[in-house]
Amino acid sequence: MKKILIWGFIFLLLGLCAKFCIRRDIPETYPSSVHNTELENINYPDKNKNVTLNGVDYLQSQAPVGVFGGELVVSTIGEGPKTFNPCNSKDNTSSSMAGMMYDGLVTTDPITGEVVPQLAKSFSIDGNEYIINLRHGIKWSDGKPITADDVIYTYEEIVFAGLGNTATRDMMMIGGKLPKLEKIDDYTVRFTTSKPFAPFLRMLSYQIVPKHYFKPYSDKGESVFNAFLSPNTNPKEIVTNGAFRLKEYVAAQRVVFVRNPDYYKINTKDEKLPYLDKFVYLIVGDTNNEILKFEAKEIDVLGIRGSNVARYKLKEPTSDYVMYNLGPDTGTMFLIINLSKDKVAPAKHKWFSNRDFRAAIDWAIDRKAMVQNVAQGVAEPLFTAESLNSIYLNKYIKGHPSDKNVARESLVKAGFKLKDGILYDSEGNRVEFDLYTNAGALEREAIGVMIKQDLEELGMKVNYKPIEFNSLVNKLTNTRDWDMAIMGLTGSPLEPHDGKNVWQSSGPLHLFNQRPADWNIDDRLDWEKELDEIFEEGALKLTFEERKPLYDRYQTIIYNQKPIIYLYSPIRITAIRKKFKNVFPTPLSGLLYNLDEIYIGEGE
Amino acid sequence: MIEALKKIFKDKFAFTAFIILAFLYIVILFADFIAPYSSTYSDRDMSYAPPSKVYTINEKGKWSFPYTYNYVREYEPALMQTIYKQDRSKKYFIKPFINGHLFGVENGGKLYLLGTDINGRDVFSRLLFGGRISMTVGFLSLFVVSPIGLLYGGISGYFGGIVDTLMMRFAEAVMAIPSFYLLIILAAILPSGMTSVQRFALIVVILALIGWAGFARVVRGMVLSIKKEDFVSAEKVMGASNLRIILKHILPQTMSYVIIAMTLSVPSYILAESGLSFLGLGIQQPDASWGNMLKEAQEFTNILYRPWLLTPGLLIFVAVLSFNLLGDAVRDYLDPKSNSQS
Amino acid sequence: MNFLKYIFKRILQTIPLLIIVSLISFFIIRLSPVDPLAELRLNPSISQETLNKEIKRLNLDKPIYIQYFSWAKSFVKGNLGYTSAGEKVSTKLKERIPNTLLLTLVVIFMTWSVGIPLGIISAVKKETAFDRILTVLSSVGMAIPSFFFAILMLIFAVKTGWFPVGGLTSYNFNELGFGGKIIDIAKHLILPAFVLFTISLSGLQRQMRANMLEVLDSDYVKFARAKGLSEIKVVFKHALRNAVNPMITLLGFEFAGLLSGAALTEYVFQYPGLGRLILEAVMKSDINLVMASLMMGTIMLILGNLLADILLMITDPRVRG
Repeated sequence: MKKILIWGFIFLLLGLCAKFCIRRDIPETYPSSVHNTELENINYPDKNKNVTLNGVDYLQSQAPVGVFGGELVVSTIGEGPKTFNPCNSKDNTSSSMAGMMYDGLVTTDPITGEVVPQLAKSFSIDGNEYIINLRHGIKWSDGKPITADDVIYTYEEIVFAGLGNTATRDMMMIGGKLPKLEKIDDYTVRFTTSKPFAPFLRMLSYQIVPKHYFKPYSDKGESVFNAFLSPNTNPKEIVTNGAFRLKEYVAAQRVVFVRNPDYYKINTKDEKLPYLDKFVYLIVGDTNNEILKFEAKEIDVLGIRGSNVARYKLKEPTSDYVMYNLGPDTGTMFLIINLSKDKVAPAKHKWFSNRDFRAAIDWAIDRKAMVQNVAQGVAEPLFTAESLNSIYLNKYIKGHPSDKNVARESLVKAGFKLKDGILYDSEGNRVEFDLYTNAGALEREAIGVMIKQDLEELGMKVNYKPIEFNSLVNKLTNTRDWDMAIMGLTGSPLEPHDGKNVWQSSGPLHLFNQRPADWNIDDRLDWEKELDEIFEEGALKLTFEERKPLYDRYQTIIYNQKPIIYLYSPIRITAIRKKFKNVFPTPLSGLLYNLDEIYIGEGE
Repeated sequence: MIEALKKIFKDKFAFTAFIILAFLYIVILFADFIAPYSSTYSDRDMSYAPPSKVYTINEKGKWSFPYTYNYVREYEPALMQTIYKQDRSKKYFIKPFINGHLFGVENGGKLYLLGTDINGRDVFSRLLFGGRISMTVGFLSLFVVSPIGLLYGGISGYFGGIVDTLMMRFAEAVMAIPSFYLLIILAAILPSGMTSVQRFALIVVILALIGWAGFARVVRGMVLSIKKEDFVSAEKVMGASNLRIILKHILPQTMSYVIIAMTLSVPSYILAESGLSFLGLGIQQPDASWGNMLKEAQEFTNILYRPWLLTPGLLIFVAVLSFNLLGDAVRDYLDPKSNSQS
Repeated sequence: MNFLKYIFKRILQTIPLLIIVSLISFFIIRLSPVDPLAELRLNPSISQETLNKEIKRLNLDKPIYIQYFSWAKSFVKGNLGYTSAGEKVSTKLKERIPNTLLLTLVVIFMTWSVGIPLGIISAVKKETAFDRILTVLSSVGMAIPSFFFAILMLIFAVKTGWFPVGGLTSYNFNELGFGGKIIDIAKHLILPAFVLFTISLSGLQRQMRANMLEVLDSDYVKFARAKGLSEIKVVFKHALRNAVNPMITLLGFEFAGLLSGAALTEYVFQYPGLGRLILEAVMKSDINLVMASLMMGTIMLILGNLLADILLMITDPRVRG
């Protein structure tokens, strides 16, 4: 008995060996691409109209009329919302959850990017005066009317008073002065800014909150207000004005929204939107989990990146989802060089502050290989500070392919010498520095490995150190003891002024040259000074045509000076189940911006 | 010694496990020679290339010396897919002792036995180099743990009384902190300006810092019973110093426990390293360890379409299983009635 | 009386333990360069003022020892403070503890009801093929990195469609009837419980086997055998009771061990438990949350041990002497 077992085992091993060792040479066959995968042209509906019915000013959607009912399930990566208070959200998840429930006066047109009325019925601008007309007859979810008092309360007692997240207040501070706000009548208000200020109108998208519900808390001061509308608030008591309202929040699992039956948007048949009964966010930990949930049909929408795209593209014709290409991502990924004087060793500072040295790095980096390997082809090389889908993108910056010879020439020009494959500076120091990125992210780590190789081909020694994300940020913003880092930042495709914290020399995110608190403004490099001026001037110009040349100039400066070397932009591919209709994705606003118009229908 | 080995190896499972482990250690010891590529070699145009197909029967159906073809990468924009096709214009024969390595193909040929990773690095070679870290991290930690644990437990148990109480309370406090979180916190503290060798050494020390308390407690228990024995009191009467008694007479008696603890805890160190790597806190790129290679493999599409990336998981499994089986046999031999779980 | 005095003494002993644990963990966490406000800092739209407010709120501008004392003071008063995101630590813990207890109890129930019998059988049939195969099989479960095993299980769930992909309840949970709710939770629990079960089974089985072997070797069992009692009677009537007693001590440790060992499994399965919460908090250096949960873990461990000791005293009078 035992012998039989042993012999059987040996035969099995031999068999396995043979299976792997003996293989006949038969030419492989490859799948050929047969189906056409051109993204179909989307017929966008006309713009929303204002319609007055029985004294109520509705917003009328021009999209095809749909069927009521059903639910849409999406996912959010991370720990879920930290607050449902729209005025106090400091992270993306909380903001988008609060955004479901509260509308602002204006919003962004998803196709053109211009500012259009939302909660406001209309607005008019006269120099630095903004007159906002509100809708008559629309109500909070508890039946109280939405009036100018709510608007005044939101701005005066929350935004201008500095409660919660003060980002909007800081942005509205023009030349040290906040705008003036007056109530003209119950449905009209007027904002007056101290100077004409271009980004101001878009800032009016700040969510309007109900005075009668918020005031008791905002009156009790900051700490009470910050705890107000925490995720554990009883959903029934939350008073909202958005398309959806909160139904339940289950910690670390999901957030469920239900339709607001009294929303002010209607379809062309004058029925009140939204169509969907329920909108669910599942809280997931990482992209891997998200993909698994999509595969298991637990979620209906999936953002797909890199090598996953090929799988879904291949299966698309036979599956129940449709994929959309939303174009390049709005964020940027880059290699950043520390130009600051006080925390970087003097020898290194000399290299880093040399433009030719930075140019050499730029020329050495092989963006094409990154796109091919790391993003598996689903990305585009990036050379500009504005993301590729920004309306302010400087189209004259074409970029260049990687060329190690140009890089070497640039290093020679900067006084570096190559001896036995090792690069020395003019004083004989070996060129060696640290390169940081956040550990745990496969893409970033792979990019780091590539950059290390590229730079070592020039004779530099790169100590590549992936570290924990929060430690990296601490290094970049607090201790400042780093040489180079691979990072990413989010950006706005519509408003370059949002990046002023990065580009102005006093900004808290001026990462490439952060200075100690007691720095002297005369320390600025010439081009930093020019950037400061551009961002100041750009905000004061009102039309796109006036602003564009300024922001073109800033991108040219960054491209020439290269304190930040941009790498690539992933292309956003999104899949959504075919049963959802009225899906009109745009590069600017993504897929679900018109959630109130989306419905579940049959057929293709 | 030989008697002991004979006894342990009477157990077929333990013997197989020993052979496997010996094989693994020999292979990683000679990794530089056996691996066809270095651990940092990377081929930009071959990211996620599948394993090279090695043929022993040629296209005419006749036996042939093993050979392979190169792959060529193509990108299909419509499908957004990268496809590897064989370049059948040239055969590359696999030759032994080529270019200073055990085996390989002529210049111009590429031999990726287990395919490549995202950066186009040979997975087979990286497995061998990664094994060096994964298979040694446990032992090195034990070399740090054992002296600390032995001395701490020895002193505590020998002196007894208030010293014992204080020392044991402290050890218990360390044990009470869930070790995995302690590990994460400590790994995050590691100064970031370290080379990979230093980082490796520090991970070893951290793993040790967590393991010593439990170890010391068991040693103390053993010392408590040993010190009551006659020969200890005899030494005392003869005027031997305390330290001498602990080091020379008491601790050697705990040797069998140390050996058991060693073989039983090596696997947990291998697993701990892979867990740290999963969270991005273990051995960092570009260095390889089985843990950080496995992290790359755990992406959904990689599991489905690139099974060759899963090989580090298989090796972790085999190594840990072998250590466990060997550990069982060693324990049964040294201490058949042992209750000790470490 | 003795009994109460003993318990009182044990509880007193835990106080220095708690202090040492809190000191060690607090200083280690605060010495790490991890910035709890990293996400805020990198958000271009967050102003310096907001950041400064947050720094003040979290006491990050004070020296470490002052931070420790202010934490300890409020902890003693029963105030666990706020997370770095501004939520109440106590509510966060309250949300998670029941879920973790549920998973832990299910896993402990599973391992005990399988591990103990297996341990007995392999001890009785010592060194037979059955014993060997059992040991190897249980070693197999221990040899897979838990996170990887969990991922494979999730893919299994996707491919078969038999189980949901992670989480604890479906999104339409509240609309289900009572029976439906139980089935829903059970479906979600199976995979994570199975993973944890496989990992912890072998330890228990080996321990039980070792205990049983020791007892079977003891004089009174030999005596019972000599009396001519049947083997089954010997094992179940005499040996079993004594072999299980030391296992009770293990319960306390196992409970605390699952709390920490389950972190990666909970993370991969998106299980809303304490382990995942602590893991995320540790990674972000969210000090109040980490400290509170470490303290909870320590107290649970101590309570577990205390309970086990009391149980032992009741079942086994020898211990008291």
